[in-house]
Amino acid sequence: MAELQLTPRELDVGIVAVGAATPVLRLAVGDVNAAWGRGGGRGLLAVCRSDEDTLTLAATAARRALAAVEIGPATIGGLWWGTSRLPFAEGPSWSTLAAALRLGPAVDGAASTGSPHAGVEALLAAADAVRAGRVDTALVVTSDAIRPALGSANEVAAGAGAVALLIGTQGAARLDSVVGISEPLIDRYRGDDESETRDTYDGRLVREEAYLPLAGEVIEALGMHPESRWSVADPDGRLGSALAKKNRLDTTASAPLRASLGDLGAAAPLAGLVAALAGPGPAAALAWGGGRATALAVAVDSAVPGAEEALGDLRSVGSPATYDQVLRARGQLRATGESVEMAIPPGSAMFVRDQREVLGLLGARCVECDLVNVPPSAHPSCPGCGGDKFDLAELPLAGTVQTFVVNQTMPAPFEAPLPLIVIDLSDGSRIQLQGADDGSTLSVGCPVELVLRRYTIERGVPIYGWKALGANQVEASE
Amino acid sequence: MSWNRASVIGAGLIKMGELFNQSYEQMARGAFDAACASVDNGFDRSSIDAVFVATQRGTLWGQEGIGGNTVPSAIGLNGVACTRIENACPSGSDAFRVGAMAVASGVYDTVLVIGVEKMRDKSAEEGLLARAAGGHPVYTRGESAPVLFAPFATRHMHEFGTTKEMLASVAVKNHHNGTLDPYAHFQYEVTIDQVVDAPAVCSPLGLLDCCPQTDGAAAVILTTPERARDHTDSPVHIAGFGVATDHPYLHEKSSYVGLTATVEASSRAYEMAGVAPGDIDVAEVHDCFTITEILDIEDLGFFEKGKGGIASAEGETSLTGSIPVNPSGGLLAKGHPIGATGIAQLTECWWQLRGQADQRQVAIENGFALQHNVGGRGSGVSVVNILTTND
Repeated sequence: MAELQLTPRELDVGIVAVGAATPVLRLAVGDVNAAWGRGGGRGLLAVCRSDEDTLTLAATAARRALAAVEIGPATIGGLWWGTSRLPFAEGPSWSTLAAALRLGPAVDGAASTGSPHAGVEALLAAADAVRAGRVDTALVVTSDAIRPALGSANEVAAGAGAVALLIGTQGAARLDSVVGISEPLIDRYRGDDESETRDTYDGRLVREEAYLPLAGEVIEALGMHPESRWSVADPDGRLGSALAKKNRLDTTASAPLRASLGDLGAAAPLAGLVAALAGPGPAAALAWGGGRATALAVAVDSAVPGAEEALGDLRSVGSPATYDQVLRARGQLRATGESVEMAIPPGSAMFVRDQREVLGLLGARCVECDLVNVPPSAHPSCPGCGGDKFDLAELPLAGTVQTFVVNQTMPAPFEAPLPLIVIDLSDGSRIQLQGADDGSTLSVGCPVELVLRRYTIERGVPIYGWKALGANQVEASE
Repeated sequence: MSWNRASVIGAGLIKMGELFNQSYEQMARGAFDAACASVDNGFDRSSIDAVFVATQRGTLWGQEGIGGNTVPSAIGLNGVACTRIENACPSGSDAFRVGAMAVASGVYDTVLVIGVEKMRDKSAEEGLLARAAGGHPVYTRGESAPVLFAPFATRHMHEFGTTKEMLASVAVKNHHNGTLDPYAHFQYEVTIDQVVDAPAVCSPLGLLDCCPQTDGAAAVILTTPERARDHTDSPVHIAGFGVATDHPYLHEKSSYVGLTATVEASSRAYEMAGVAPGDIDVAEVHDCFTITEILDIEDLGFFEKGKGGIASAEGETSLTGSIPVNPSGGLLAKGHPIGATGIAQLTECWWQLRGQADQRQVAIENGFALQHNVGGRGSGVSVVNILTTND
């Protein structure tokens, strides 16, 4: 590598709030190794249920960041989303997330993707938009939930999760400065016609010629105080500690998360930073991937709203899952046979008509009798009074169970047990949704919270909607 | 006074079951032959002016676009007017109502109403269960048939203390009745314990709380009350009928312990027939699931709301009870070939009123029998027909 002079550039953008989300399942690294006839392996990997993905995690983290400061979607100027792998290779991934966050049709922003470095790329794009006065407040979401290649080293590394930051001109913490470097080197990658992310070709090569030298360059260039708390992207679970040792970095805040969740990819730099955002002092993050290394300096003046809750969410223990359960959840273990198709194909007119209603959980409130009708486009006449004038209403994401069933007999692609719940929402409206767990804790009258989930994938199209989770389950599984 | 402007002179059905070796057309022919053979004084098939055919799910036998021309050709009546009626689970009972109105209007003298359903040319997974993927892609996704009724069981249990054993008593009774009905799909008894301990299908409903997927066909011949006298000395008249609808989404129901469509449909039928629930001697009601029969016998006015479970457990609906319900074995034992179901129920009512129900014959005191179906998305449509031997 040629000698070059790296100079950090100033950001000076405030961090207003933070939120995080992890998926439900936890897989022991040792179980994956055992399945392939290998011994050993420590730590856990956070893995999505079949109805979770990078978008549902992103939506949950973003909603929590907004809730931490009680900022409504109307004040958000833009949404910047960074993830290694979008739900659509080509398609409305970003606009689907924006609609699920009720950000409105005029919201600004972009998606960064293609490598785990995408998270920090989204953050920098948003920070520059704030600096330029393009938006006052930006929502940055970093998330990852890749499908690793079977039997690869990547399979015992890949975790899943999301971290969202709300940024603006002012904040309890400040994005201080940033410095980056790139070389066209291959680490983890996925070909255009491939569905699973491959591991590096030669781990030693990446360590010695790519990760350690490039990360070292930006860390040195950033010139942080020795007491800074570092978040270090750690693709294989060993590189992080090697880098920390070589550069004398304090990674005591980010290393435990890597051990309990795996590599969060695009979300890793911000996830490791969450603990530092909970109290004052200097902090820094290293992002890595796609042949790029970027180091980011952060100054925390006081605890960032949402940081404690986000740390709790990142430390949640989830539900243990076996290797075969994980393979099924990722669609890597499938039964032979036919799968029942939806009556209405995705992309058809019905989806055009009601996608914003479904994603934003909108109802039509009758101006005559106040009854809320769901979904609005299916109700030109109010079931309560026959009226035909309505105001669109954003339905609350909490309620209680009016009645429910647990469907145990389902054709593919459905998975049993599948709870179906009639819910009395907290504003008096009523809705029917699927449950997001096995339904074993449901009872008439019990409280539920709504979470965004992926209902199915058909013809390559992920179908998103809200599901209900028994309120006593929310903490345990998120 | 009852309506009595159309009469049944013949009725019949084929043995219900998984009729893997019979085509849709063969089943239709079998039911038509049975109905013709049942006419007391003989019947000239060429006197049929029009056919009304009930088939609910053309999708289950590979002819999604099935129309009214399929059946006349199959039963040797090619060229005769024919219209298909689709109205969810009440398709057969609604075709019967339409046929009765066609006769009463004076347009036709004699009509055939025939229900035919091929449920088992597809596997269970790709058959009725595939309904789980129909409707709204999010708000009704996963809503296979039991999901329409099981939430009512959950709520009925919560509000009235109805138990799984009470639900099971419906299956025990109807399976018993089925052993007395040579046309029933299932011909075996079940016990309370067997029903309660059966594998869960859609909690709180288990396997024996659910009706089977059944192939079948049934037919009735209708004519004017005047012409009926030429065919039989004991005609059965249509005393009244009622149809009502309700909202299609489960979340917009006004109650989860009763089906509004049934209440409304029966209220209209009682008024038209000039009778009260207490005047009914025997009822064939829609027991697609055990809870459905409990809802029905309350919504039809036979028992107070909330008392249906206890009434069933105490034998009030048995062959010798205060109101015998589903002497044919009901959908639970006789089977539920959807388009044929209502016509098959009406055939049982016809037999019961004429004293032809053999071992399952119930006492007929007032001369009124009631037939009921409810179904569709959100159980949003119900049809009730009342038959009578009273002129």
